[in-house]
Amino acid sequence: MIQARIDGYATTTVAHPSFKGQTIVLCTPVDEVGVEAGMPFAAIDPIGAGRHARVFITTDGSWTQEQVHDSMSPIRNQVIGIIDES
Amino acid sequence: MKPGRVIGTVTLSQGAPQFRGARWLVVSPMGREELCGKNKGLSQAATPIVYDNLGAGRGDEILYVEGAEATQPFENPILIDAINVAILDRYTFLPPDANP
Repeated sequence: MIQARIDGYATTTVAHPSFKGQTIVLCTPVDEVGVEAGMPFAAIDPIGAGRHARVFITTDGSWTQEQVHDSMSPIRNQVIGIIDES
Repeated sequence: MKPGRVIGTVTLSQGAPQFRGARWLVVSPMGREELCGKNKGLSQAATPIVYDNLGAGRGDEILYVEGAEATQPFENPILIDAINVAILDRYTFLPPDANP
């Protein structure tokens, strides 16, 4: 699992069919104090995290395949939790 | 999944039989500067060759997947390491400390 910050959103029309209905977020990995720690990457976001929210991301492709109901989906990254900053 | 900009294509004269009909893209991974629009050219990262069956062309911005998941959309085993999974229409990217 990766800790990351949501920095943006993306839309697509030409994509693997398993993207249908999914929100795509662009996020930056961060360390435990919120400092950027790597190259930005994309993930699907079924729970609806807001911009600049700190989130947990799973890179488990088989779990994501179950979530998108497509056993041939290449999607890896999925937002699975929003970290409570309070 | 990583964002990248297509900067070229590769054509094979000989290839594994599974590659019949495949297109190959040369992709420059997009980092913070590229996603923010401050660098419209190449990034410093190494450029992977990405399998493409969506029809991306030079200048398109795509999402590509690397690793074992890249082979998931295929019924039969295929020896690829990276695949184009989405051609981006629009995106926004604004880190909290960026100056727009």
